[in-house]
Amino acid sequence: MWPLRKVAVLAFSMLVALAGRASAEDLRIGAIFPLSGANADYGDLYMGATELAVSHLNDTKALGGKLSIAYEDSQALPQQGVIAMNKLVNVEKVSYVLSAFTGVSKAISTTATRSRTVAVNGGGVGPDLAELGEYFWNVIPLADFEVRAMAPYLVQKRGLKRFVLVYVDDPLGQSIKRELESSLPSLGATLAEALSVPSNAQQFSGVAARVRDAKPDVVYIASFGAQQSQIIKQLRDNGVTQQLASYSGFAIPAIASLPEAKGALFTTQRIDWNSDDPVTRRFTREYQARTRRAPTAYAANYYNAVLLYGALASALQKAGLPITGENLLTKRREIGAFDLVGGRVTFEKDGTIRSAMQINEVAGEPAVLETVVAH
Amino acid sequence: MLLIQLIINGIQVGALYGLTAVGFSLIFGATKIFHFAHGASFAISAYVFYYLYAVLLVWWPIAILAACIVVVLFGVALDRYVYGPIQSTDGSFFTIFVGSFGVAVVIQNLIGTVFGRGFISVPSVLSRSVELLPGLYVAPTAGIAVVTAVVCFVALQLFLGRTNIGIALRALSESPALVRTFGLNPKAVSTCAFALGSLLVVPAAVLTSMTSGLNAAIGGRVMLISVAATIVGGVGSLRGAACAGLLLGVAENLALWRFDPQWSEAVTFLILFAFIVLRPSGFFGRVVTS
Repeated sequence: MWPLRKVAVLAFSMLVALAGRASAEDLRIGAIFPLSGANADYGDLYMGATELAVSHLNDTKALGGKLSIAYEDSQALPQQGVIAMNKLVNVEKVSYVLSAFTGVSKAISTTATRSRTVAVNGGGVGPDLAELGEYFWNVIPLADFEVRAMAPYLVQKRGLKRFVLVYVDDPLGQSIKRELESSLPSLGATLAEALSVPSNAQQFSGVAARVRDAKPDVVYIASFGAQQSQIIKQLRDNGVTQQLASYSGFAIPAIASLPEAKGALFTTQRIDWNSDDPVTRRFTREYQARTRRAPTAYAANYYNAVLLYGALASALQKAGLPITGENLLTKRREIGAFDLVGGRVTFEKDGTIRSAMQINEVAGEPAVLETVVAH
Repeated sequence: MLLIQLIINGIQVGALYGLTAVGFSLIFGATKIFHFAHGASFAISAYVFYYLYAVLLVWWPIAILAACIVVVLFGVALDRYVYGPIQSTDGSFFTIFVGSFGVAVVIQNLIGTVFGRGFISVPSVLSRSVELLPGLYVAPTAGIAVVTAVVCFVALQLFLGRTNIGIALRALSESPALVRTFGLNPKAVSTCAFALGSLLVVPAAVLTSMTSGLNAAIGGRVMLISVAATIVGGVGSLRGAACAGLLLGVAENLALWRFDPQWSEAVTFLILFAFIVLRPSGFFGRVVTS
């Protein structure tokens, strides 16, 4: 009887040990997205892309174990973002975190640097995000690139020289204002009025009156989420008929389906959805099938961010190195270029990707009006 | 012309603020319950109207009627099944407030789950402005908002002054014991206050769904305005709440004449602060001495 019990105990111990080993090989990364609140639409969009990337990586068995994502809700608020980041770093012990929104990204960057955790932004576009240290990467061109692409197009190709900016008073809006102030004079254009609105404002009929009063040729909107839809609707309802323009914040389904937004121009990084490159083709086809939505630049960015992790983690595993933030950073510098959705990308020294831009038109035929090469 | 435009915008916004604030003030004045879920009532009626009118394409009077029924049922249910049980046990102001706050959060999340958390609006030609004079744009909704606010307020005053239940409501705000002395049930009168107060948010909710659009978190802003208007107007004074709502709307818009839109919301709090310091009893509130 005794030997039988010993065998049973030994077998159980081996099972536990094996199970432990299997879970130790599984990989987990974090994601801090707005999953509730007025900007939850973005979170839905990002999650559709990250889950697709995870399933693709797991299907290819490129990594030693199964990859999964621990999601945390930031509500697009910096304070919530910091709480989420601390949980992911200290409890979940992840070495790679996906981040979104300029304010949230800036808020979590100090924890990322201190804990040597890689934070990757695919949605925030404030130019300050390029200055958050070596552990903060951007897989999205920042707003300075977007304004530098849009402003010359509006002035030189459309002959629109008098700008009014309606911007949300946060790091993103302020950076776009700075960029317009510095770039318009050299183009022979002027920023006639810059109207800042609080991030929770919902009434814009008075703002529309101020915009009309400034007699602009073009109104540049730098807001996000539900608020930018409200701004567009109320500007149009209150007699603002001028051309509307914005940054990649307009690249969401809510804007595409808003009748008042028809004809608005916005910038995104250049992505040819009909490209023959296999990564782009697979993403485009399966993203549409899975989410029943047309692919957007934001979705591509977060898909790319997960794919990037897969490439780096796989390379580290092959080299027999642990997957830590430090090693991920070293490996990214070592590899240099990555095949992602949109083509081969390289990172600048500041951890931001370099990309060509495109000018898009909401509900336009064609949707892409112009391609602007990276400067 | 900008100044006139801002005044007109302010009157439109103020009329909607006034309607919402009067509903809250009526409930708070009569029952002394800090009905934080009043914002949720606003959101519920707006989304019901949106769903019926814009999604199911129901005829608009039916959609408005349905919104009225749903929001009255919601208000009455809260009074009976949330506030009533709390009052029969603990009954403290703070406990009721927390209960109401909890309901508001649950409703916000439910709306977000059902309708999504993004922006939606009811497409209507009534919200499109027309140029009346050079540089002066007015939408039909502005006139509708003002007329509706005046009609609702006059009807409410007549109801409170000339019907037995209206007089009972006013009596409840003075003394529940007095209501009992006259053989009336204060609970039934309180339920009436919730029904009526909730009903008053419907016109503002319907018009807001056309003009500003909706999102699941819209109730928070509605509460902020309602509380500010109730305090500025004088707690318990419906006339005061209506005037204060109008004042806040006009002031918020007039601030744009000289200041950045960033500061227009601060104007609400500046007015609130000024009243708290200089005239704590509000526009028409009574001074209470100990």
